[in-house]
This record gives sequence, C-alpha cells and structure tokens, in this order.
Amino acid sequence: MEILDFLAHGFAVALTPTNLGLAVFGCVAGTIIGAMPGLGPVNGVAILIPLAFTLGLDPASSMILLASVYYGTMYGGRISSIMLNIPGDEPAMMTCLDGYPMARKGKAAEALAISAIASFVGATLSTIGLTLFAPLLVKVAIHFGPAEYFALYILAFATIGGVTGANPAKTLMAAAFGLALGTVGLDPVSGTQRYTFGVFHLFDGFHPIVAIVGLFAISEVLIFLEHAPGAHSAVVSVHRAYARVSDIVFSFGAMLRGSLVGFVAGVLPGAGASLGSFLAYAFEKRVSDKDDTFGKGDPRGVAAPEAGNNAAAGGALIPMLSLGVPGSGTTAVMLALLISMNITPGPLLFQKQPDVVWGLIASLYIANVVLLLLNIPLVGLFTRMLTLPMWLLLPVVVMVSFVGVYAINHSTFDLLVMVGFGVLGYLMRKLDIPLVPIILGLLLGQSMENNYRRALSISGGDSMILFQSPIALGLYAATALLLVIAIVSAVRRRRRGP
Amino acid sequence: MSDRLTGLLIAALALWYGWTATGFEEGFGDPVGPSAFPELVAVPMGVFALWLIVRPDPEPAWPHGRAMLRQLGMVVSLIAYPLVLELLGFPIATAIAAFAMSLLLNGPRRASAISAVAVAVGLFVTFDQILGLHLPMLPSFK
Repeated sequence: MEILDFLAHGFAVALTPTNLGLAVFGCVAGTIIGAMPGLGPVNGVAILIPLAFTLGLDPASSMILLASVYYGTMYGGRISSIMLNIPGDEPAMMTCLDGYPMARKGKAAEALAISAIASFVGATLSTIGLTLFAPLLVKVAIHFGPAEYFALYILAFATIGGVTGANPAKTLMAAAFGLALGTVGLDPVSGTQRYTFGVFHLFDGFHPIVAIVGLFAISEVLIFLEHAPGAHSAVVSVHRAYARVSDIVFSFGAMLRGSLVGFVAGVLPGAGASLGSFLAYAFEKRVSDKDDTFGKGDPRGVAAPEAGNNAAAGGALIPMLSLGVPGSGTTAVMLALLISMNITPGPLLFQKQPDVVWGLIASLYIANVVLLLLNIPLVGLFTRMLTLPMWLLLPVVVMVSFVGVYAINHSTFDLLVMVGFGVLGYLMRKLDIPLVPIILGLLLGQSMENNYRRALSISGGDSMILFQSPIALGLYAATALLLVIAIVSAVRRRRRGP
Repeated sequence: MSDRLTGLLIAALALWYGWTATGFEEGFGDPVGPSAFPELVAVPMGVFALWLIVRPDPEPAWPHGRAMLRQLGMVVSLIAYPLVLELLGFPIATAIAAFAMSLLLNGPRRASAISAVAVAVGLFVTFDQILGLHLPMLPSFK
C-alpha cells in the first residue's frame, strides 16, 4: 500500500505544531467567512492568500491554511442559510430550501447538527476519494506531452462555466479575455514586450492574486452597496447544535448519496461546489420525496446538499493537484498561490513536492475533525457573528485585501490594478459574465502558450501535431460533448424563460 | 442593450489585440514566435463578442439613484486610498478610508469613526509590528 506510506508522510507534515495551528485557524476563519452572507469560499481564500505571503509560509503550510479555509467555508455557508434564509455563500443556496423551514419550526439546532454531520460525511468521503484517485490520475497524466496539455487546457476552458453556467458564449468570451490578459508582459521566450504600453509595472504581467482579490472581494463590496444596507433580520439564538440519533440515521442515506453526487460534480472541470449541492439536492428529492415533505423542512433536504457541496470541494482538488487544472473557482485561487510560489502544478507535483501534496491531503482529514468539533458545540458563537453589521465588517475586508495585495510587491500600482479589476468584476457580474474563466485564463495562459509553442517547435510549425495523439483527440471529443450539453441546456433554459 | 455594448467593446478589443499581435518581433530559433498565440486567442474573443451583439441576454437591473451614488463614492474611496497611502502613511490613510466606507454603508457616525481608528491601528499593529510587513508609518511629504 504505497498510498498509505505517502499518507503517513503527509500526516508527519500536517501534524507539526505550525501546520496544525494553521489548520485550526483556517477552520475557524473559514467557518466565519462562510457564515457571513456574501463572503464565499473564493473570497475567503483570496483574502487569506496575502496572509500566507506576509507570514512567509512555505508552500506546504500555505496550502494547508488555504485548504482548511476552503473546507471551513463549506461548513460555514450553511449557518446563515438555516438561520436567516440567506445563503452564506453560493454552494449553501440549496440548504436554505429545507434548512430555513426547519428553523422556523423550532428545529434550528437539529438542522445545524444534521448539516454539520452531513458536511463531515461528505468532506471525509471525498477526501478519501482524493487520496485514492489523485495518484491514479497522475499516472495517466505523466504521459501527457505538450499537445495533450494544450488539449486539456481547451477542455478546461470550454467547460469551466459548467453545465449550469449562464450563457456559454459569455463563458467562452470570458475565457478568451482571460487568456488575452495573461499575455500582457514580457514574452518569456523572446523577451518581446506585449501590450505593456511601455509601463514598467506591467512587464511581469498582471499578478493573478491581485486580479483575484479585485475581481471577487472588491466587486462583492460594490454588489453589496446596491441593496440598501440595513439591519439584519432577527436571528434565532442557538447555543449548541444537537440532534437525536434517530434523525441522523434517518438522513444518513441522503448524506451518502449527496456525497457521491457531489464528489463526481466536483471532479468535473469547472463544476465546483455549487453544482455539487444543486445536483445532490435534486437527486435526493427525486429519490426520497415520497410524501412531498421537501422544501418544508425535511432533514434529508438539509443533509444531501451539505454533503454534496463538501464532497465537491474535495473532488475539485483532484484535477487541481494532479493535472494543474482547477475544477472550481476556489481551487483556481489555490493554484494561483502555488504558481506565485514558483511551484509548477501538474503530475510532477506528486514527485517533486510530496510535502505539499500529501501534507495538504492529510491536513484535510484533520480539518474535517476540527470542523466537526467546532460546528457542533460552538455553533452558537458563529450564529452570533451573523448579527455583526456590514458597516463594521466590510471596511475590514477591504482593508485586509489592500494590505495583502500591498504585501506582494509593496506597490501602490498593484492596489490600483486591484481596484480596476474590482470594477471590472462588478460590471461582469451584473452582465452575468462568469469570473472564473477570466482567472483561469490569466493563470493558465502562459502555460497553455508554452505548450502550444513547444508542440509546434517539435513539429516544425505543423499545427496537425495538436490533433495526432489519441489522448488529445479523446480530450477534444470530451470537450465537444460537454459543450453540446452546455449549449442544449442553455437553449432549453432560454425557451423556458427566466 | 448592455450586452450589445459589451459585445461591441470586446469585439473592438479583440480586433486591436489581434492586430497588435501581428507586429511582435520574432526571436531566433523560435518557429512560433510571440505573435501566434495572441492571434489564436483574438479569434474566439472576437467571435463570441459578435455573438453577444446578435443574441444579447435580457437587460440586467442596473442600480440608480442613491445606490449608484454610494457605489460611486466607494469607487472614489478605493481609488483615492492607494494614491494617498504612501503620502499620509498607513494608519492615517486607512482610518480615513475605513471611515468613509462605513459611512457609505450607513454606519452611525461616531461608531464608524471609532471602528475606523480601531481597524487602522489593529491592522498596523498586526501586519507591521507582529508580522513584520513594512507599511508606511508616518506621513511623508516629499
């Protein structure tokens, strides 16, 4: 059992006092960020990236911190869904459907407990899946040459919008736009200046983290200002989550089914946790809704989507770690951090940086246990967080973003670029143009171009090399298939009307 | 309308982007050169932008009135902050910006002022003093 050896090594990394402390801190911070309406996993991870820089953490510790935050937000999102009927973040949307009715019936404590256990089941099962499947995928990916990578990137871009993505044309346009942004700066091969306008600050191109914090955190503030900021609705006070064993047994099947559906959704490129919880709920409703109890406070309607979004979070780490192609917005941000630390993602990561990969995986098991402990007895603390007013909270978020981005280069130019991306992100969100493809383009553009140029160098300039290997052709076929599904579902949605 | 305008802008951008790419100089022993990839990217960017002009989505609900003024105020504060950061020093610039943001979010005046000062001092102590990230401390009028 080779994997067990690696995992043991990972636990040795994850259990050092620093890394254990970071994991616990990440879990607490992640739960709080997830619980706050409007702050989701992408923002949470983006805001805490700068912290990894300022603390001078090594890559393994940084990834442990971010992954704990990621898992934490998945747990935290459910809290405001259940208590306020406002999803704490996008993946927690489905939890509102049955969670809030349960709270209205005076069963908030049960809903919180069942969803915490469902989160634990989903996240743990998908972490096991990650442990088993990521090394297998690495064994395949190790045979990829430049042409195959080029095809893989095409697949990632074509499908990042996901099957639920709004308008496929907008998704693809955003991906091309992101790739275009990625070419700004000095061309690494020839040293030619591209689209820099002679501005010295742009020679290195746009820093992905500056762009990410702007696109997600700053645009969120602008979105928030649209709605008249007022007082929150009253929160039912809950001090502790508890549920009867019979309730847990009753919804255990839903947890297992939700985990499986969510995990598969997470592994697919571009789908992510929101799709995971959506599909898990839809599937559970089809299987279990015999007496029309869903939507009226059925505990299984809380268990399935929570297991689903947590399982998707683990699943999304598989393509990110083993192929270097993120499966969701949050994993894209984590990839940005790895690239910023001069670590080349992809199958070689497992050989060259076993500390990062296995330390990360081991820390996910630890984070899960910590999160379960945090979310059952201490849930009262987090529900009280929901009463914090936004005028207190948002300036802190903005200022932490500023400090963090400033920390990267000590440059106020970066801050202005961040604000620029913030305004851009706001406009794109209003126009329903997805942001993740832009980030992915910016992140992977350089690597995609390198592979393109390398492939054509091998063939002496003949483009047909891109379409010769069976692996590449298989990837193009998968791309075409997923695109057709996306277009068909978009057309259907358009016919049905909004 | 918004979608059509966006499509038009991005299409123009794609045209300029692809056209600029043709002018990049090729290096030695590099059969592909720095122009090929941007030219490749410009095509889908332009095509999908044109598609947006032909088949736009329904108009989004743009903010207006007070909400839009608040957003404008926020953007102004966000742009002003980096411009004055190194001039005023971190604590002062941050306190002013945080205060402005709290007010934009309808915070009560006195409490906003207190929290803005707390945020400025708290972040300065955490990041500069404890974490060793050097932030500009004092106003510098060069």
